[in-house]
Amino acid sequence: MNPALLLLADGTRFEGSGGAALGTALGEAVFFTGMTGYEEALTDPSYAGQILTFTYPMIGNYGISHDVAQHPRACVAGAVIKQLAARPSHHASKIALGAWLDEQAVPTIIGIDTRALTVALREHGTIGAALAVGDAAIAVAEADLTRYVRSATTAGLVASVADAYLDGKTLEHGGKRIVLIDCGVKRAIVRDLEALDASVTVLPYDTSREEINAHAPHGVVISPGPGDPRDLAGMVDTLRSLVGEVPLFGVCLGHQMLALACGAQTYKLKYGHRGGNQPVKDLVNPGVLITAHNHGYAVDGASLPAELEATMINLNDGTNEGFRHRTLPVSGVQFHPEASPGPFDARYLFAQWLESLP
Amino acid sequence: MARRTVLVIGSGPIIIGQAAEFDYAGVQACRALREEGLRVVLVNSNPATIMTDPEVADAVYLEPLTVASLERIIARERPDALLPTLGGQTGLNLAVELAAAGVIEKYDVELLGTPLDTIKLAEDRERFKAKMIEIGEPVPSSVIVTDVESGVAFASGQSYPLIVRPAYTLGGTGGGLVHSEAELRATLATGLEASIIHQALVETSLLGWKEIEYEVLRDRANNCIIVCNMENIDPVGVHTGDSVVVAPSQTLSDLDYQMLRTASINVIRALNVQGGCNIQFALHPDRNEYQIIEVNPRVSRSSALASKATGYPIAKISTKIALGQTLDEIPNPVTGVTKAAYEPTLDYCVVKFPRWPFDKFPLADTRLGTQMKSTGEAMGIGRTFGAAFMKAVRGLDLKFETLTGGTYGDWSSDELERILVTPTHERLFAAAELLRRGRGVDELHALSTIDRFWLYEFAELVALEDALRAGRAAGEPDPERVRTAIEAGYSLRGIASLCGCEVGFGGPNSGQFRMVDTAAAEFPARSPYYYLSRGEADEMRRPPNEAVVVVGSGPIRIGQGIEFDYSCVHAAWALREAGCSPVVINNNPETVSTDFDVSDVLIFEPPGADEVEAAYRATNARGVMLAFGGQTAINLAAELARRGVAIIGSDRASLDMAEDREKFDAALARLGVARPQGRAARTFREARVIARELGFPVLVRPSYVLGGRGMEIVYNEGQLASYIGSAPPPTPGSPLLVDKYLRGLEVEVDAVFDGEDILIPGIFEHVERAGIHSGDSISVFPTQTVSADMERRIVEVTHAIARELGIRGLINIQFVVFDGGLYIIEANPRASRTVPIISKATGVNIVAAATRIALGERLRDMPYGTGLLPRPDFSVVKVPVFSFAKMRGVETILGPEMKSTGEVLGIDASYAGALRKGFIGAGIRLPRDGGRVLVSISAAEKAPDAVGLMRRLVALGNVLVATPGTHAWLTEAGIPAEFVNKISDGSPHVLDLITRRDVDLVINNASGPRGLADNYRIRRAAVEASIACLTSLDTATALVTAFESESGPPRSLQEYQSFRVAAHR
Repeated sequence: MNPALLLLADGTRFEGSGGAALGTALGEAVFFTGMTGYEEALTDPSYAGQILTFTYPMIGNYGISHDVAQHPRACVAGAVIKQLAARPSHHASKIALGAWLDEQAVPTIIGIDTRALTVALREHGTIGAALAVGDAAIAVAEADLTRYVRSATTAGLVASVADAYLDGKTLEHGGKRIVLIDCGVKRAIVRDLEALDASVTVLPYDTSREEINAHAPHGVVISPGPGDPRDLAGMVDTLRSLVGEVPLFGVCLGHQMLALACGAQTYKLKYGHRGGNQPVKDLVNPGVLITAHNHGYAVDGASLPAELEATMINLNDGTNEGFRHRTLPVSGVQFHPEASPGPFDARYLFAQWLESLP
Repeated sequence: MARRTVLVIGSGPIIIGQAAEFDYAGVQACRALREEGLRVVLVNSNPATIMTDPEVADAVYLEPLTVASLERIIARERPDALLPTLGGQTGLNLAVELAAAGVIEKYDVELLGTPLDTIKLAEDRERFKAKMIEIGEPVPSSVIVTDVESGVAFASGQSYPLIVRPAYTLGGTGGGLVHSEAELRATLATGLEASIIHQALVETSLLGWKEIEYEVLRDRANNCIIVCNMENIDPVGVHTGDSVVVAPSQTLSDLDYQMLRTASINVIRALNVQGGCNIQFALHPDRNEYQIIEVNPRVSRSSALASKATGYPIAKISTKIALGQTLDEIPNPVTGVTKAAYEPTLDYCVVKFPRWPFDKFPLADTRLGTQMKSTGEAMGIGRTFGAAFMKAVRGLDLKFETLTGGTYGDWSSDELERILVTPTHERLFAAAELLRRGRGVDELHALSTIDRFWLYEFAELVALEDALRAGRAAGEPDPERVRTAIEAGYSLRGIASLCGCEVGFGGPNSGQFRMVDTAAAEFPARSPYYYLSRGEADEMRRPPNEAVVVVGSGPIRIGQGIEFDYSCVHAAWALREAGCSPVVINNNPETVSTDFDVSDVLIFEPPGADEVEAAYRATNARGVMLAFGGQTAINLAAELARRGVAIIGSDRASLDMAEDREKFDAALARLGVARPQGRAARTFREARVIARELGFPVLVRPSYVLGGRGMEIVYNEGQLASYIGSAPPPTPGSPLLVDKYLRGLEVEVDAVFDGEDILIPGIFEHVERAGIHSGDSISVFPTQTVSADMERRIVEVTHAIARELGIRGLINIQFVVFDGGLYIIEANPRASRTVPIISKATGVNIVAAATRIALGERLRDMPYGTGLLPRPDFSVVKVPVFSFAKMRGVETILGPEMKSTGEVLGIDASYAGALRKGFIGAGIRLPRDGGRVLVSISAAEKAPDAVGLMRRLVALGNVLVATPGTHAWLTEAGIPAEFVNKISDGSPHVLDLITRRDVDLVINNASGPRGLADNYRIRRAAVEASIACLTSLDTATALVTAFESESGPPRSLQEYQSFRVAAHR
């Protein structure tokens, strides 16, 4: 077993043991509170550039199935696990989590007090960290971390993961034509739209207005993805030009970009929402949805311009969870209707939106 | 506007399948209702509960839970509404029956929460199945039958095994797995009988599928949340109450989890549940397929477990939902800032292990199936499954400190394998032993169908134990390995037993507490709810005031029930009142004491020496109180004292003296107090000598016992020899006690002593003469046959003993009045089973008094008075309740070994009236006018007073049916009786009579060795046929007395207690 070290930018150290993947992961340390869904989370492109801590202490129990992967490869920078199941048990399991993390070269630290880490992240807020596995990596971790913190940027994160659907092919299903803007899209979104008979064309995050329009879509979905929505100024501009031209629906990062395009502001949350138990209050059709979240930034509800109305808020902290344009077909939600991992309370939103398209 | 009144129905006596979880739920419900400004009327016949305290509801009725009794209370109190879903199956059934009887409509009572139709639908298999099919949820192929033949017809198209589930029964009474047509016929016949609507379901077996439960809440606005899901280690086939349960699920992928979550919400919405609901699923181990097994539209044992596992107060929130509030407006009591609409997420693992009564019933059928057999449960919380599991195992208080070792090493592999295939309570220990013998996980999985995940986990623990054992040869234990074991949930004692030498924590035993916050640390929480996580950071917030630790009593078992939780809760409340911060340590998820708002600090850990010491040190407590947690807590005294933990209240010397027979005898001799002659024997040979010296009959028992475990009355040398053959050998540390047996009137007192003054709120006498365990006797207060002189003597002696033992707080003493003399049987320096009863009957909170004494206060400065308090002008009668129907093979005759699982109270202006209410509450009725009573009386008791009893039975209009010996005796006495054959005389014989239910009551007191198999079979047959069977003529006499007169109208406890207050002034 290799020694491993998780070093936070404030000097807090956690020593544990590492997997076979040697080296250093540099990124933001964040925590995910779901009790299941580690495969989906580790392959969720929105975690790009992040060292992901699982608050649930026993991870890997049911192995890796490949069926639920959200991206062809692991997207996290590093993984933090209290206890890694040595031998999984599940009919769908193809490989043990530990072996897969090694195969995916994800630096992983095991056996640390993940709750103490979570409390630290909650109190301090998201913080830069280095996760080093192996004596050599540990020896240079401190210097690496200093360098990373000095130059930390979220720019380029989207580019690093928006590569799962590069062929630009449309999957014909006979239903509505949907352009899905890939900022680090999850497979589950494609799956959910196709399940509703939509013909989905996935186009990259830097596609122009003209290229999008060339597909004559009935609607455009802007996907979730990693990092700060302001990093994708080009797409925000494109979206601004599409408002009123074609129905737009943003999910998570897509929701934030759409808000920027409509003149609202976004900001960074202290430690974000990452898990599957966030209560969202629907302000339009009163009720509460339990939803899947993975975001470090949020739309400032107070900044919504007059033509936007908030449709949903988070019951825990009051943050904006959804808005719509008062007159035009533009809407978004901060959470993940596609779940994966997480509850399916909000899955109906895709159907509802497709239904609303002309 | 007048305050609205809400009626809450409790769940009655503790029986297998319905335990303390409904006290916890009921208390939360009452508090939630009163928070909303409502007036609460509570009805429950169980006096040992917190919910029946006058502080919990505005009017508490300790009255029988029958439609007739409830109607009288409804007529008197005229409640505006009824909350039916918090009193378990009993409360639910009563609400249904009240509605069916037109009472609800007649008195215009609104039903709160989940509609009655939903309750009926969930219970009615046919309608339920149809509803599930309608909404597209899968249910196993099945048929609903009301007769045996239809079941057999269905079976012909299916393959065995099949499952039989009777409708409207608790804990699956009368149901079971059947492997052949013969078994199907037999089980179906009893199951139909047990069902109040004479209906049962026969369905295809899902044996070997994973069993998963979801706890769901829904409000009237259709908002739904999952509080918790749980996975049973035992696959489908073992009743969930008898399964080892883990929260959250461990072997479900997110897809599996969400599939069942979505299904749960579909079901609860389709059923229109408003409040809590439990849904049980079977999940195929090899594919994405599930079936819905059962839905309980009410709070349940599982919801209690889910509440304690997550910190989310399901009963409280369910009550608010029943009042019409919605999840998004109810504040979240854990964080204080967010709302109740969210789903708890855990960053630890919880394991529940059932506690079975087989240690007390060695002859019981220990196979586990669809009939629940456990009486209680222990829960363990740990950051890993291993730690949670070991804490649950240790918390059973069965002296299992390790997974391997013990007697399983002596079993053959064949025997071990057999119980992997046919599960008993020992299955997981057998699996561990086989793993220790090097057997593979795949092989054990093939035998047991237990998921490999759990077997891998057990293999890890077994490997750790093996490594510690292997280190034995090396001398010094490897400190790294010891540390690993401590972090894996082992006790120092367990590790020492593996290493063969003393071990320590290698540092201070404190500072490793973790918070249960429902949110995996995402939000700062307010709940002062903790568990130990050795080797991790500490999150304990020091309590606001000087801390005092109250040690709880662990899982509910026969001999140590909910009454000790009652005492612990009152001790905590009294501490708070006295300006201290109560710290409660306990591991029973069903109880009120493990609700986090009862104490300032709740530590959910097994009440063992390591954990109590850690609690004491971590809270910088003034001391530890052991007197309220039953024998479990008392047994810690020596070890805690050795570790320098301050014990407050009666200190260790007095605790020891009451248990150390010779010291106790010396004390009695100094006081001139008589005791049945007897001595402690250190060997069997010595026991024989003592018995001869005293003359038979003698009472033999091991010292340091609970609930009379291993205690027997022995009439001759032969019986003594057979006792010795089956008892564990005595040791110098725990000798065998041999006493002369005196068959006199048994009297019991609970007293409080402060070093000078004594307070005795009242004296109980027992209906049954000495020889029947006090827990199984009918107890009466105030005394009916004890003279004033004798009462004075009892007070004197109690005072003297309390002084001699150095008691500071509670003492319970049992006496026998024999031939005009007073003899002491035993003294316990602790709370007893009768504490809640005497407290309720007199309004004197003796637990609070004892707590304040422990803190240094004096009785004379308290409002309770001193000496023996005056007698009230009403009577209370405690009647024990048994769960024999659920315990196949158990001998039902009463003796020194306790067998009852619960109790009810009757209160009435007259003694006979109270008796009558007690019997009715316990479900025993005396047939009249043509009722048939089967009598078989032992030779020794065919005495003149027995003749009188028989005459009174006949005078009440009963027909006596007698076995040959008894028939002859009755004929001689001139009492008419029908004759029935003994079993050996051939059919139609006495068993046929019972099986045909041709009698309404059985009186059979023939005791003695098991050779009297006929009588044993008669008693068992009566139990199986649901016919009351009395095994003592004293009980039978009381029953006749009760039914010769009427009982008075219901009155609330508050009204009864105001009598006392008036009398006192």
